[in-house]
Amino acid sequence: MKLNRKALVLATALAAVGSFAFAQGSSESAGSKTTQDAGPVHVTLWYPATQTEVGPLPNDWVGYQIIKDKFNIELEAQTLPSGTQDQDVKIQAAAAADDLPDMFTAGREVWLRLANNGMLADVTDLYARMPNRTQLMFDDGAKKYTTLNGRNYGFATPAAVSRNEGLVIRKDWLDKLGLEVPKTTDDLLKVLHAFTYDDPDGNGKNDTYGYGAFVETNNYEAYPGRRLEPLMGAFGVEGTWNMTKADFGLQINKPEFYDFMVFMKQIIDDGVIDPNWMAYKKDDFRGAWKQGKFGCFREQNSALHSENNYAPFDANFPNGDIIVIDPVTGPSGKASVGPAVRNMRVWCISAKAAEQGKAEKIADLFEWMSYGEGYMLCGFGREGVEYTLDANGNPQSVPGDKGYNGPVGQTYIQLRNMAFNYTSDMELASRYPSYTTKVSGKHMSSLETLHNMQGRKWTDAVGMESMPVPSTDLKTFYEQGLAEFFSGKRELTKDNWNAFVKQFNDMGGKAWEEEGRKYAEANGLLK
Amino acid sequence: MEQQNFKVKKNMWKEVKRFSSVYALIVIPVIFYIVMKYTPLWNAQIAFRDFKSVRYGIVGSPFVGMKNFSEFFHSYYFWPLIRNTLMYSFGKLLISLPLSIVLAITIYECRHRWLSKTVQTLAYLPHFLSWVIMYGILLALLAPGDGVVNDLIKLAGGKPVDFLTNSTAFPWIVILSDAWKEMGWSAIIFIAALMGIDVSLFEAAMVEGASSWQRVKYITLPSIRPVIVTVLLLKIGTIMEAGFNQIFMLYSPAVYNVGDIIDTWVYRQGLLDGRFGLATAAGLFKGVIGMLLVFTSNYFSKKVTENSLF
Repeated sequence: MKLNRKALVLATALAAVGSFAFAQGSSESAGSKTTQDAGPVHVTLWYPATQTEVGPLPNDWVGYQIIKDKFNIELEAQTLPSGTQDQDVKIQAAAAADDLPDMFTAGREVWLRLANNGMLADVTDLYARMPNRTQLMFDDGAKKYTTLNGRNYGFATPAAVSRNEGLVIRKDWLDKLGLEVPKTTDDLLKVLHAFTYDDPDGNGKNDTYGYGAFVETNNYEAYPGRRLEPLMGAFGVEGTWNMTKADFGLQINKPEFYDFMVFMKQIIDDGVIDPNWMAYKKDDFRGAWKQGKFGCFREQNSALHSENNYAPFDANFPNGDIIVIDPVTGPSGKASVGPAVRNMRVWCISAKAAEQGKAEKIADLFEWMSYGEGYMLCGFGREGVEYTLDANGNPQSVPGDKGYNGPVGQTYIQLRNMAFNYTSDMELASRYPSYTTKVSGKHMSSLETLHNMQGRKWTDAVGMESMPVPSTDLKTFYEQGLAEFFSGKRELTKDNWNAFVKQFNDMGGKAWEEEGRKYAEANGLLK
Repeated sequence: MEQQNFKVKKNMWKEVKRFSSVYALIVIPVIFYIVMKYTPLWNAQIAFRDFKSVRYGIVGSPFVGMKNFSEFFHSYYFWPLIRNTLMYSFGKLLISLPLSIVLAITIYECRHRWLSKTVQTLAYLPHFLSWVIMYGILLALLAPGDGVVNDLIKLAGGKPVDFLTNSTAFPWIVILSDAWKEMGWSAIIFIAALMGIDVSLFEAAMVEGASSWQRVKYITLPSIRPVIVTVLLLKIGTIMEAGFNQIFMLYSPAVYNVGDIIDTWVYRQGLLDGRFGLATAAGLFKGVIGMLLVFTSNYFSKKVTENSLF
């Protein structure tokens, strides 16, 4: 019993000391550590997976040993969650606990918060250490993206291919119903009605809808979000902001936004949009179009036409045909798929890692991944195992599971996002290989789909992604208000709308707009 | 007097020594509570500071007094958050608790062993499903487009109801789906209490000609009353916990007015916006209210039913 009492006292004392140390902060202890010259430097990396459906980077990845031999770095790589919001949550929680990894990637909002809080290393001088990567990726725009008070606190690299989404429609349904591709909002309404009420799939059931969507928002595509941007574009209110010099401001404050609301409400009241749209999550939405529930929607090229994603639709509808169309034109002649921004991801080095003398090592590793051996290993895997070179010297995936397009080989290229710039044909071709569908035998290429989507009408909105964000309460008010107009809880009349917008502006909307104006002017973002 | 105290103390240690192996069992939970529950209380001071990261220390973060509390209390959403949180907590308490008791009594009274076992197992099952899975099931059941329930409504000539985005239907969906998920699991404790009732009481009642309902009313319910009171008091202590996982999965902007609770607000403020001081202030507020409710309800329970936790 005496022993138990002692153990209890000891445990209590340890807990108290631990708590005290936690409360005192860890900067001192972190700052006192320096890189050991003798042993390898341990570097922790949190990366977004190239392919979220397959496993993480295997422990037997040869890159670990190469990195150790070349840079004396013992790399510990961990996958981040697939959703950007989940990534942000993980990083913010780690930051609060001073448990950030040495290198990680963050969205701009989180990056800005961490940089303001002194959690990130000043990397301004590291560009010179990465000449190849800097030449390839870090132009003035990219540097400006991560500049705070004249210094750089991260490396902005392309996160995804720009303009990689489009308004798409079931061509087989149009043909069956004898309809043309809609060009205007009026045409679209007619098509949506026909898709909903004229049995486009011919199964004798009233089980289809015209438009399909789900709520997907971010700082430049506010509620109702990305999937409805082509409809907002028809009224010139796509994106959160109007970034023109002549008419700068929040789109919600534009008179045309009310016109969009009226159009949207008509679509809802007519029952021609899948009524589940406000409750769907991303997977539900994608499952729904693959089951033929609706015939018109905005989708991403790879999610639409890559082999794995298209296969269920192909199995369900061998004669199905989904084509990319121009965004429909609204009453005043406007049209847009949505705001085109630079899809940037910020690679950060934690301040703690820099204090431990790891920043230069990390920069060397990052540079190595951008060309030659490191680039090929991270982007395509091992020659003869995951890829072979064709006559032109371009890598081709080895057929079967082990190739970089196969489920096993894909695990070895999970760091591809650290290597690729997503601009060269070689990179795009490897990311979006062409194939023949298993059931219908169609030739498919999500790369062709990408080019098709990129050629449509987008709104140049570079910089909108870095605009200030509203407070949580203001954002809630904005989203809740619009949703209540859509659901009918609030009647959509001009007076009600104006009252809502006034209250929004009084709550902080006007101040947010002014903050945005100052930021846009200071950073030369106005078009 | 001093001598008497010494005697009691001496006897107590004698008692502890005698049952040392039993008392040893308490060491692990005590350490758990000290490390996981009491030590973190030190960090509750984040609520009074402009906390950014442990990197700069909690003590090192600027002291801002009641600023975070003031911001929470003056938030546009403060009263809706309180209303919604209490609505779900009391709603779940009023519906789930009686249902659990009824289920426990039904299982206990069932004379067909296979039937009671089957019902018991089926009632437990949903407890082991996460709210992510439950969301999928609820969407399949309740979606206005192709949900099973709406298919039946349409078949009967009715108009589909958007249960998950309709602010009238949403609270009921939350409360009833929680009852469905947790009713079986919550019934366990009542079934255990029922097992402890002296069977001769029922036999005597039957000899006296008492009906089933009379046996439940005069024997079963009074016998498990202390357990009911204990469960009720424990639940009141967590009355400000309205079920983050469930609401987070089910809600959307269309039902923010009836769906947003303190925990979802704290999640958005703390983990999405990085305002840990504000989020901790809201959390501390919840804890204090919960503690006050436990003391108050314990006091009244002692007065009215003579049953109490302490």
